[in-house]
Amino acid sequence: MELSAAIAEAFRLLFSFDAGLWNIIGVSMKVSLTALLIATPPAVALGFFLATVPFRGRRLCVIVLQSFLSFPTVVVGLVLYVLLARSGPLGELGLLYTPEAMIAGQALIAFPVLAAFTLAAVQGVDRIVRETALSLGASRWRASLTTLFEVRFAVMAGVFNGFGRVISEVGCAMMVGGNIAGLTRSIPTAISLETAKGEFAQGIALGFVLIVLALGINALLNYFQGEGGMK
Amino acid sequence: MSTLLLVRKLKKTFGERRLLDVTELNLEAGKIYALTGDNGSGKSTLLKILAGLEPADELRMRFSSADVDAAGYPDALRREIIYVHQHPYLFHSSIAANIEYGLALRGVEKPQRHDLANAAIDWAGLAAVRDVQPKRLSGGERQKVALARAKVLTPRLLLVDEPTANLDRAAREQIVTLLRQTASNNNCVVVACHDREIIDLPGIVHLHLDDGRIR
Repeated sequence: MELSAAIAEAFRLLFSFDAGLWNIIGVSMKVSLTALLIATPPAVALGFFLATVPFRGRRLCVIVLQSFLSFPTVVVGLVLYVLLARSGPLGELGLLYTPEAMIAGQALIAFPVLAAFTLAAVQGVDRIVRETALSLGASRWRASLTTLFEVRFAVMAGVFNGFGRVISEVGCAMMVGGNIAGLTRSIPTAISLETAKGEFAQGIALGFVLIVLALGINALLNYFQGEGGMK
Repeated sequence: MSTLLLVRKLKKTFGERRLLDVTELNLEAGKIYALTGDNGSGKSTLLKILAGLEPADELRMRFSSADVDAAGYPDALRREIIYVHQHPYLFHSSIAANIEYGLALRGVEKPQRHDLANAAIDWAGLAAVRDVQPKRLSGGERQKVALARAKVLTPRLLLVDEPTANLDRAAREQIVTLLRQTASNNNCVVVACHDREIIDLPGIVHLHLDDGRIR
């Protein structure tokens, strides 16, 4: 298929609401958003803890966390595969090649991104925000909440960044999801498969969706950061 | 004048360096104190220790009728002693919300909070910038918001760190007026500063920090 014809077919698939295509988009969104929902609370808590609580070995923890940022997603997939495979320690759960396995993988991939963004943001403001809140009569717990609230835009940037990372990752999704049509076929795995088959139209349509998502997320983040917290 | 805060012992070291070794400090209600000293002499650290924001190695002080030592700073005291930073941090919200923050912590109802915040905004001469985002305010305006935010809580002891540093003359005069007004209600104000306009104020009590001691 020629490129122009492939692009025309891609837009036809998109705007005729082709069931197969939109199912893939639905799977991607469901898996990625659920993974973020699961990963965000503990990751933000860990980032905040590492930024505010001094303890022996803290520096090592930060180095390990930051190393995980550049961890190949396919390695996360490999580790999960070994754990979830029938002969693996969690094989009895029967989770391999399910959306739940993909969610677990994507939550693991998003976790260090979210924690690292929170860590950096809190480290940047912690002392003066905390002192201001305490001096105005806040309890230590309330001062912590105030600090988190003050870095909400940086944490939000972490969430959007994490979303960008998981919705476009192919290695882990392919290994633990298996790219099963209608069940675990996500945008990046579908692009990979269709391109390998020489079917460019669906790949282009899905690529277009990813680009629109990236633009939309960045526009949203810019809007919120520009608002600077003013209602 | 009655003693509001009496420090009998206050020691603070950083590594091998002894920063503070205060054996007596008596602050009376209704007075303004100018705390002077070279850069790095420990003025900010002293104020932060008095406000319970920084731990001391040794501390024995009495505020009103409450005894405080290095083991623990009572949370209740933070409601009566307020420290204002040299470069105050304003929360990412509106000016009114900044001023209402401490009131909300004290359980003041919303309508009353609004009234008090509006009155504080007028008091500080901030009515013209009421709707401006705090991050867009000038240094002097930020100081005024911070003072209004502290003043609305009617602290018995207000500790202000270099409030006029880097401000122009008009802004400095406004800050000095606000400080005098704060002290006029039988409250006590301690201002760490190098500013002659504050140091030379009539009736101000001088405290000089030198080699860790108040002289």
